[in-house]
Amino acid sequence: MTEAAGTPATSRPYSSSVERGSYGPAPANLADILERVLDKGIIIAGDIKVNLLDIELLTIKIRLLIVSVDKAAEMGIDWWRNDPMLSSSEQGLADENRELRRRLEELEAGSGGDRADD
Amino acid sequence: MTESQPEHGRYLFAFARGLDPARLAGVLGLRGAPLEVVEHRDLQAVVCSVDLEEFGEDRLKEHLEDMEWLEEVARTHHDVVYAVSEVGAVAPMRLVTICSDDASVRGRVETLHTQLSEALSRVEGRREWSVKVYATRPAQPETVDAGRPASGAAYLQRKREQAAQRRSTGDQHLREADEIHQTLARSVVATRVLQPQDPRLTGRADTMILNGAYLVPTGETDGFRAVVSRLAELNPTLEIELNGPWPPYSFATLE
Repeated sequence: MTEAAGTPATSRPYSSSVERGSYGPAPANLADILERVLDKGIIIAGDIKVNLLDIELLTIKIRLLIVSVDKAAEMGIDWWRNDPMLSSSEQGLADENRELRRRLEELEAGSGGDRADD
Repeated sequence: MTESQPEHGRYLFAFARGLDPARLAGVLGLRGAPLEVVEHRDLQAVVCSVDLEEFGEDRLKEHLEDMEWLEEVARTHHDVVYAVSEVGAVAPMRLVTICSDDASVRGRVETLHTQLSEALSRVEGRREWSVKVYATRPAQPETVDAGRPASGAAYLQRKREQAAQRRSTGDQHLREADEIHQTLARSVVATRVLQPQDPRLTGRADTMILNGAYLVPTGETDGFRAVVSRLAELNPTLEIELNGPWPPYSFATLE
């Protein structure tokens, strides 16, 4: 079993400014943070209008991770390079990204399609 | 002469109860702005001022599409929520809820008082834990490649066998995930089953078969960890990952 702390429950001084990186152990996984702050929590309308559909589309995008292979590598996601079983499917990944982008464009154009739900 | 537009709004991080604002001293909000606590009746809203040049409607939409901006804001949002969870009962907000001013914030608290109170009571003294279960990739390919199939029919037969193998593995995973979830559910106050994460987000080649959130009273943390450990021992072909504690994003919701 592996265990990782979300953010440490010790009494380290908190700072959410750019100096954050110098405090304590590694911060929580971005995927785990986004999954919660974009899709969970209290959802109410503020005074600054945020189109809920935009947030939902963003959540879908994050789930589908519509990024180019290069951008994903920048983010440190490059497991397909290391796994010899998968490197031959890089082309498959690019094809799949194209298809996912097409589906997302359809969703954005309001032409329906499946929506991920919990 | 046109009315001047307000330049700042109040970004809402979380609602809280029983929070001593002094314990948030030194915790910064977005772009270095100090955190402030807006009080109304017995509840509190944790906020900071934000520049509407950056967080107003027009720019906000663009910024939400920018992964770097999103990451910075999401991490700050989470850091603040976490700091609050350390010092009081907290109901975390979803990202980017911005009110015009404190009167507006108090108005929201007033309107939602009953639901907010219930949400806070549901999570007070409890923390959220994430349990993710991965089915590890088999060491061998599922079928041995016997070279070119002797015929079209043989090829189709092999394809059918592979598909059946995948379906049966999939069914097995569903059963395993469900058993694990039910075991965990028996030892916690509440559960939420979340969407499994896309492999391109997790950076893992194996399949996530369960993504669960579990609400555990703080005093029962060790007991919960022990249950997870035992499940890991009982399921050697799976990887069970415990992550936390988290503020109760999945549970402090408005019903």
